[in-house]
Amino acid sequence: MSTPANQPITTAPSSELSTGRSTLSRRSFLKSTAASTLLAAGGTSLLAACGGSAPATISNSTTQAGEITIWDRSGDLFNVFDATIASFNKKYPNIKVHHLAVDVDAKLPSTLSTGANVPDGTFYEDSNLPLLAEQYYDITDWIRPYTGDIVPFKLRVNTHNGRIVGIPWDLDPGLLFYREDMLQSAGIDPASIETYDDLIAAAHTLQAKLGPNVKPIHLEQSPFLSMMQVEMFANQQGTSMSDAQGNVQITSQPYMNIMNFLDRVNKEGLGSLQTYESPGDIAADESGQVAFLPWAIWAVYGPDLLFKKSKGKWRAMPLPAWQKGGTRAAVMGGSSFIIPKKAKNPHLAWLYYEHLVFSPEGYRAVYGPNKIYPGGINTSIPSYLPALQQPLSQPSAGLGGQDLWTLAANTAKDIPGNYIYPTWYNQAATYFGANIQKLLAGQMTPAQVLQQSSQDIQSKLINHA
Amino acid sequence: MYSATSHPRRPALTRSPIQRLRRWLGGSFSPYFFIAPFLLLFGAFGAYPLFYALYLSFTSWHGYDSPRPIGLSNYLFLLTDSTFWQSILNTAVLWLLIVPVQIFIATVLAVLLSLPQLRLRGFFRTALLSSYVVPAVAIIQVWLIFFDKDFGTINAFLSLLHIPAVGWLTTGVWAKVTTALLVLWRNGGFAVLVMLAALQDIPVEYYEAAAIDGAGAVKQFFSLTLPLLRRTIGFLMIISTLYVVQMFVEPKLLTGGGGPFNSTMTAGYFLYGYITNADFGTGAANTFLLIILLVTLSLLMLRFMRAGDEV
Amino acid sequence: MALTSQASVHAAAHTTTRRLFVRPGMLFSYLLLALAVIVTFYPIFWMVMSSLKPGDEIATAPLGVDFHTLTLANYSSLLAAVPMWVGFQNTGIVLLVQGSFTLLFCPLAGFAFAKFRFRGRQGLFVLVLATLMLPPIAMIIPLLFEMAALNWVDTYQGLIAPGLINAFAIFWMRQQIAAVPDELLEAARIDGCTPLGIYWRIILPVIRPALAALAIFTFLGVYNDFVWPVIITSSDQMQTLQVMLSNLALQINNAQPGATGHDIWGEVLAASTIATLPILLLFIVLQRQFIRGILAGSVKG
Repeated sequence: MSTPANQPITTAPSSELSTGRSTLSRRSFLKSTAASTLLAAGGTSLLAACGGSAPATISNSTTQAGEITIWDRSGDLFNVFDATIASFNKKYPNIKVHHLAVDVDAKLPSTLSTGANVPDGTFYEDSNLPLLAEQYYDITDWIRPYTGDIVPFKLRVNTHNGRIVGIPWDLDPGLLFYREDMLQSAGIDPASIETYDDLIAAAHTLQAKLGPNVKPIHLEQSPFLSMMQVEMFANQQGTSMSDAQGNVQITSQPYMNIMNFLDRVNKEGLGSLQTYESPGDIAADESGQVAFLPWAIWAVYGPDLLFKKSKGKWRAMPLPAWQKGGTRAAVMGGSSFIIPKKAKNPHLAWLYYEHLVFSPEGYRAVYGPNKIYPGGINTSIPSYLPALQQPLSQPSAGLGGQDLWTLAANTAKDIPGNYIYPTWYNQAATYFGANIQKLLAGQMTPAQVLQQSSQDIQSKLINHA
Repeated sequence: MYSATSHPRRPALTRSPIQRLRRWLGGSFSPYFFIAPFLLLFGAFGAYPLFYALYLSFTSWHGYDSPRPIGLSNYLFLLTDSTFWQSILNTAVLWLLIVPVQIFIATVLAVLLSLPQLRLRGFFRTALLSSYVVPAVAIIQVWLIFFDKDFGTINAFLSLLHIPAVGWLTTGVWAKVTTALLVLWRNGGFAVLVMLAALQDIPVEYYEAAAIDGAGAVKQFFSLTLPLLRRTIGFLMIISTLYVVQMFVEPKLLTGGGGPFNSTMTAGYFLYGYITNADFGTGAANTFLLIILLVTLSLLMLRFMRAGDEV
Repeated sequence: MALTSQASVHAAAHTTTRRLFVRPGMLFSYLLLALAVIVTFYPIFWMVMSSLKPGDEIATAPLGVDFHTLTLANYSSLLAAVPMWVGFQNTGIVLLVQGSFTLLFCPLAGFAFAKFRFRGRQGLFVLVLATLMLPPIAMIIPLLFEMAALNWVDTYQGLIAPGLINAFAIFWMRQQIAAVPDELLEAARIDGCTPLGIYWRIILPVIRPALAALAIFTFLGVYNDFVWPVIITSSDQMQTLQVMLSNLALQINNAQPGATGHDIWGEVLAASTIATLPILLLFIVLQRQFIRGILAGSVKG
């Protein structure tokens, strides 16, 4: 069985993973991660221990029959997925889909543990995946044809003990959102912002030119989200809170860089401390108090759908680098789909997700213009490379017609793959996130934040697991 | 006393076993029948989960495979965990901000509502109870807007009075106050209702006698009304304490979890974290620690209630 | 017998109480009450008004009311997406079953604890109290296991059964019944009444206002109950009102792809208004009965 490592690298630019600077070409990445051991294992089935999975069958699609229950988080996304069921049933008319809007985060742990009313498949955020990884169905064999075309780090996030247990869905690259009009009036060329030091300098210029009420850089007040943003900064520098074994590794230089940056922004009066998309935050964005937001792509939600006064005045660009010439791409957030081990019809659920994520009809229906989002979804991009090749959604109105898709897709190739979600990720916010807030309140020094959080995570989350 | 036997006595030797049993039980089978439904339900849906949770508390279990026995590890971990104690401290502060204030306000309002010359009594009563009918999620959105630091109503109002903006939801101290205000607003009507029902039971002659003795309205309130309400106050204290210790919806939605610097991480929310993170063993141990806390507090309050028992 | 003396006391009270409270005092009382009502009502008023605003306006101009942009759009998009009447139905069913059960059996149990001396009374009462101490969120996992074993997950039985244990009601009823004079009960016993008869003929009428209040408490408790219903239900057909509301509210807090921003605020507020107003109206209509109930049993004017 040929492994994807032997497949030719596709020539479309968005899937070209080797860059001049970064050593993370597809080949090298595959060699350096668990993914390679997984794929090199070839076709032999190690599945007996994992609960088993049937080999992918290329059967007549009308013989696939049955009912599946699919959970998704309530919201417009639910509606978007719901609308794709019709296209799924065109292929598989005899598979009935019960699509439920559920508070997945609250219900999945208890549902999987008790085995009561387990869905056949569900949406689940990547940061939650490790928590219940033991209870997902092993879909390695089914997903094998596609693994070569999935952004490697998303694949890793869905890998547990060398087996693939989830279907990677969206990629949330980090970007720097900025107010073009404000920068213009202060005479700042966005292209000149190449490092975070440049960003701080630009912020000072803005404040000098536009007045002291302008506190240009958004600082995040929610412990969980601020930790997530810090993780984005860390990912940029090729690291994350946890190593592959689940050990905490935040007392390192990359994290010091991040803490120092946040500390500087705060101490030099350049930050607006708000909770993301709270009323205060929106008002700050709209009123010209904030000019820079280093955040995941899903922040475009503001300019596109929330903001009125400043709509069209925002733009996006790659994140500044931590060192001149360094990586300007990272990931922040993301979700996938999992099939529980106790699902009644795991293979049918797989067929549904295969359609949704890997088939052109599916991913076009999700990302392209539809009834719910006439311009399509641009708050994330697919992690499936063939889907990334052409923009599926319209240019963003909130960003003045900028082609956000292509920008984001281009940064995707630079995203460092060394991004681990440990099982204690969510709980770490109580310690690490809270301490980041203390830094932003001037109650802790950068070094203290890292020391204390590292200690707490080690003793309370790792040792006690 | 009513509980005496309800039949003329038969000589001891000729009593049947059933009659002896009845006598031994206190004179009647009735109380047992009356309590039976509750007991059955409790056995099925209360006792069983309780004992299962007790078992879990001595294990480490994350939802798959089998629970792994680890003895007292969970308890020791929690009792030496600073965040656990912080959640207890937070809960204690919230308790102080909520329970005495609620009881005081409820008593005052109930007394006002009982004033004989009060017009529009029905209107006032319904109005005050209406807050309890509003779903938590809705009122929390309102709170988020009103108490926003930079753009909220309250601070806008304060700025009119030249008072600097307060970080209602952004500082440790004020976040607790804001949460307390939310709970007071929402549960206030309930407390008023309980007090009102209790006030109806106080005979008016007492007030007459006090008036004859020369006591004014305020003195009557403190020397007469309050002591007679002791039982109900104790009752409300217990119910409110239970609510405060277990509360987790308000911290979750209002302050996004633990609040600024974990200041609104209540005992309930801390526990909730273990459940949603599939750490069921520690969660169960946490549960029992909370139960012990609650039982202790309740026993203390029951004592307080009984002290004023004049029936 | 008891009623006539109450009436005369009442009449007497009416003349003397006028001397107990001075006019200026009444003004103060009205002011306090009015303040309380304003504080209570304003957020509700805001909720209703905002539900009529387009979602963005709620965020950007929360306090203003622009009469030109008032709209029912939130309601129509809400009702198109969420089957709220199902929520009402399910909440109603739970209310009916739990409510009747509570009203039927809890006063009875309270009667037992209050007026009987029987072996094990202390212990059993402590048990009742102890039930109150069980944090619902912690009982979830074991309870869910039990429901799974019984195949009661996502069913009415599963939804209703745990809530039938209403220790609070028993606690409160015991307290109320304890205040009933023993002489009344003794007299009835001598007349040959069975315990059940005494309950029916003496206790119930005397505690009627308390029963009315208990009905309200139980109603509100069930109505607001959120933790267990969220866990035990998954399908659309089983969700109660609170579950639907919390599902909607989730969308506000989900900042990642799929969040719908402030349109969802509008929908949440619309849903909350739909959930609140009927109950409020019900109260207003019923409170007349309520007054009668309370005054009939009251000794104090």
